[in-house]
Formats: sequence, structure tokens, C-alpha cells
Amino acid sequence: MAITEPKLWTIERELWVENRLGLHARPVAKIATAAQQFDADITLEKDGLVVNARDLLDVLALDCPQGTRLVLRTRGPQAREAATSITSLFARKFEET
Amino acid sequence: MTRKNRVLEGIAASPGIVMGLAHVLTQEGQVSTRLLYTDHEVAEELKRFNRAVDQTEEELTRLRGEIAQDLKEHAHILELHLLILRDRMLLLETQKLIKEQNFNAERALYLAFLKIKEVFQRIGDKHIRGRIQDVEAVYRRLRGHLTGRGASKTFEFPEPVVIVARDLSPAETTHMSSSQVLGFVTERGGKTSHTAIIAHSLEIPAVVGLDSATLSIESGEEVIVNGLSGRVIVNPDEAMRRSYQVRREEFETFKWEVTLGSSLPAWTSDRHPILVLANIEQPDEVSLAQKYGADGVGLYRTEFLYLRQRQLPTEEELFQHYRQVVEAMAPREVTIRTLDIGGDKFLSPLEYAPEMNPALGLRAIRFCLKEQKIFRTQVKAILRASALGKVRVMFPLISSPRELNEARLLLESVKEELARELIPFDGKLPVGAMIEVPAAVTLADLLGREADFFSIGTNDLIQYALAIDRSNKSVADMYEPLHPAVMRMVRHVVQVSRKLGIRVAMCGEMAGDPLYIPVLLGLGVKEFSMNPNSIPVVKRVIRMTSLGEATKVARRALALATVEEVNEYVNKEMDHRFPDIFRFGRPLVANRVL
Repeated sequence: MAITEPKLWTIERELWVENRLGLHARPVAKIATAAQQFDADITLEKDGLVVNARDLLDVLALDCPQGTRLVLRTRGPQAREAATSITSLFARKFEET
Repeated sequence: MTRKNRVLEGIAASPGIVMGLAHVLTQEGQVSTRLLYTDHEVAEELKRFNRAVDQTEEELTRLRGEIAQDLKEHAHILELHLLILRDRMLLLETQKLIKEQNFNAERALYLAFLKIKEVFQRIGDKHIRGRIQDVEAVYRRLRGHLTGRGASKTFEFPEPVVIVARDLSPAETTHMSSSQVLGFVTERGGKTSHTAIIAHSLEIPAVVGLDSATLSIESGEEVIVNGLSGRVIVNPDEAMRRSYQVRREEFETFKWEVTLGSSLPAWTSDRHPILVLANIEQPDEVSLAQKYGADGVGLYRTEFLYLRQRQLPTEEELFQHYRQVVEAMAPREVTIRTLDIGGDKFLSPLEYAPEMNPALGLRAIRFCLKEQKIFRTQVKAILRASALGKVRVMFPLISSPRELNEARLLLESVKEELARELIPFDGKLPVGAMIEVPAAVTLADLLGREADFFSIGTNDLIQYALAIDRSNKSVADMYEPLHPAVMRMVRHVVQVSRKLGIRVAMCGEMAGDPLYIPVLLGLGVKEFSMNPNSIPVVKRVIRMTSLGEATKVARRALALATVEEVNEYVNKEMDHRFPDIFRFGRPLVANRVL
């Protein structure tokens, strides 16, 4: 799955955790499920810590309460689609409050 | 089964000596552990594990399908569990442990789970941290498929056993009682681990931190657990059993004698009264201080309320805490130490950068004189409590008369404020300086003019005098309470306070270690403050010491040039006079869990 062709761009987006409960189980499950659908490397970074968005427990362990800033990076054939999908999850606050 | 006897070394975590049959646990239920020896075995084990994963997945998928549409919440959880089941941290880690460590699947899975648990314990957010429950649910389901259903979960043994485990969690120990468990041996943990605490409350011996205990001891083997020395003997021979019996009886006698005398005042054998006081941190520790026969509280540490919560404590909150202690201890004296903390330690919104060298930084009285609002609030609460019993206040880390003077002035202005508000307080509240900076030792005569009493804080004084950071492993063994420099400092402070006619106490670990008590008595210290559980043993040592003899011992120790000579001399002297101090007294005191 790892696509490392130099020509491929890495898409980088800044994301903010806006839902009240932060990245608890359900949002993280949604991220992981979404991430698994695309042919792309998808990572999330918080304060220099980078995890694979597919690794649910790693994302949980990033410890992201409301107000956390994250950097999303996607790379690979479906990098754009992956970025759009995950960004919109954050934008819709994971259908939470 | 006659196997060779073996002696294993761990950390003594709960005092006592016991013999019984081992019962080895690797997790909550009873799961076998074994090492895999051949590549074939490893391959088979991986297959077995992967099969269990598949079965768990099928089960979860089936459950999800059976859920009615209106129970969507539950479906979400099952989806989450499916994701966790295939997560790298659980799946790959278990496979890795099977392949690389040759552990059987149950053990590998358990270790992988524990590792996740550790990661989650560090998570700050409560909700997110709580998701470990889901990981645990998946873990249990998977383990069920691995070992077959119906694995026993509670502890029921035909006779009391010694529990041998990797580690024990609160959940695992809730079902255990002292009628079923003789002692604990665990691979993990230190003196303050959960196992140690439980063992203390059940009053059974425990040895922790014993590497690979669950691998080197087998269920059904006979073991002697010595919670005083940290030693575990597996399959003892006849001679070992006999010496075990003798040891056990001696220890029980010692404990009985110590407990018996703890409520009586401590006088030296030549009839000099000595005060034995308690160090406490929270109001509920007063009961411990009383149980162990403290003559008062010599050091009430007040940091707890500031570290526990994000907001600074209010005056009323502080007052309520202090009042509980003061009222409960009355008519005995309570010495309250004002905040001894650095600005960087606060949970509250105070913004101080972390310090490179906090021991030498902005802390204790320096911090309080800078953050006067915080300090005034505390001083006010202490003064209010002083109306309700016998209270003394002392300031930590004093290094100059100016600091002490400034603190006193602040105290006086708070008094005026209270007087204006017609709130009662003790107008003659004694004010003390802690002597824990070498500068304070040399200036003791000047400080003594401003102070009503001294309290020598040995932990910091030794650290500063010898320039030793005890948490730094490479120099920790150079932390020497009996260093000639330290002894001379103590003697100097005692002599100055005698001349000025003010009281001097000693708090800090040295003051609660029975080994040092006679020397300190000989140097002229007459008040000792310590962790409550040290009190009975220290009182016993005091009663068995004559001040005249102790003075001679101290004089000889002071005449020696090096700390090695001092240690050798004092150890020999103590071993000769109090042989049971080394075998029982110090180990009993060293377990400062409660």
C-alpha cells in the first residue's frame, strides 16, 4: 500500500477537533473506517506525534480532546479523495455536537 | 515432585514471612503459560491465534447482524470492537510476541493488551482513556476463543496459597482475602504498587519486582515468601524450613513488642523524654498517626490541595483541611509547613516555565514571597486553624534572615487583617524556620533571633550539602545521611538552638530510620518527625537507648574523618546493640506504603 513515488504530492490539511467529547471511540472509528477505503497513506499529526489514521488505538492514544489541532497528511493515488473524506468528517463534527 | 530449591531476589513490599504452595497466575483467570521451543510450535501457535481472531470476528459480525435497527448504539460498539480486533497494537503485537519471544498465544495476547493499557493510562482525557474498556472487552472475547469458554474467573482454592503473578490489578485483588491468600509474589511493581498496598491492608507479606517470577515458579511448588528481605525460596529443604520457622517466630515477637509499646511515651533508658511526631499529608492520615502513637504532627505537608486540582484552593477549603487535622490531634501539637513547591508544579493556571534545575529554583518560601496572594490565603487559613488547637507554622527552604523576616511580616499583616475582621486566631502562634539549606545552618544564630523553633529537613539538607541528587542513579549511593559534613551541621544547629533556648526538631527520612536514631539522640536531637508507620519501631529504639551512651557514640562518630568509617562504626555499634533492627526494624519501616 505504501506509495512512495516522488512525483506524488502530499496533501496537508490543518484540522481542529470541534466536537465536545473530542476524538473518542466513535469519531476515531469513523476516521479509521474512512481511511481504510482509500488507496493512500493517511497520517494524523499532533504536536509532532504522527500516527496512521487507520490504526484506531494509535489515534485514540493521541489524546485529542475538543480544541486539539491536528495535521492530516495524505499521499498516494487516492490522496485527494481521502483528504476530502476525512476533512469533511471533522467539518461535520462526526455528526456530533 | 521433588525439585531443587532455588532462592529468588525481589523487592520487599509488605513485611512478614510466610510459607505455602504457589499458585501462578498470568491473568485474571487461570491461563497456562509456556515457552515454545521449535519453529513448528511457533507456527502452530500463530495458526491457533489467527483462528481465534477469525472466530472472534465472525462472532462480532454475527452479533452485529442480529441487532435490531432500533438498537443502533449497540451496533456502533460492535463495529468499534471489530476495528480494535484488527488493530495493529493488538494483533501485530501479539503475533510479534509469539514469533520473537516464543510466548504462547494467551501470554502474548495478555502482554499486548497490557501494553495498550499502559499507553491508555497516559491519556489525559477521561473519556478517551475510558475506551480501554472496549479494548478489554475485545481482549476478553478473543481470549475466550483462544482458551475455550468457561475459564474460571474468581479465586477459589482448596487451601490458602501464595499468589504468583506478573502484576495484580485492583480488579484482580478484589476477590482475594487473607483467608485464601498467604502472600504475593509479582514480577512488576515497586514498594508503592497496587500489590504492595493490598498486601499491607491484608497484612500479608509481599515480594514485588521479581523478574520472571511466573516463569521460574510453578503452581503447586512450595515457597517461602520473605517480605522483609525480598527473598523468595522455592522448594526449601529441611534446614531452610527450620530457619524459616525460627525467623517467623522471632519476627512475630518483635512485631508484638513494637506494637505493644507504640502508644506509650518515648523515654530513653536513662529517663530523658523524646518527642516522636508524625509526618502527614492529608487529614485522613491523622488516624494513622494516632494509631501508631504519635506525640503530635511534626510536619504537615500542605502541597496536596494545590496539586490535586486545576483551580487554586480557596481559603475556606484550606481551613477545612487544617481544622480537621488540628481538631483531631488536639491537645497535641500540629506543625504546619507552608507550601513547599515550585511554580512549575502547579496544575492551576499559574504560568511558570519548567525549570532546568528545580531543586535550586523558584520554590517553597521563594515562590510564596513572590506569589504573595497565594501565600496570604494559606497563612490566613493556618491562622484561623490556630484558634482550634495547638498549631505551629514553619517556612520551608529559608536561606537568609531577610526571607524569614519578610515571611513574618506578611504573617503579622494577615493577623491584623483577621483581627479587624474579628476572626479568632492564636496571637502567639510559634513561627519556625526549616533548616534545609547549608546557608541556613551557618546563619542559624541569626535565624534563631527571628524564629521560635527550627526543624531540620534532612532530605534537602543532605542533597544540598553533598550536592547529590538522589533520583540520579549514578550518584544515589553517595547520598549519605551519616556524612561527617551532615553530622557537623546537625550538631551546629542543635548547639545554636540550645544557646538561644529554642526547640529544634528533625523531619525527613533520616529522622524515621531506626538506624540513625541513637546517633541523632547523641547529637542532641530530641524531637523526631517521621512517617507514621516508623513511629513504633523508632520508639522502641529510643527506649532501648541511653542518652549517655548515645552521646558517646555520636562523639566517636564525629571524630571519624570519612563517611565510610562512620558507616562502619555505626553499623557495627547498632548491630551489636540492636540486632533485630537490621533484620526486622528497618525492613518494617522501609515499607512506607501506608
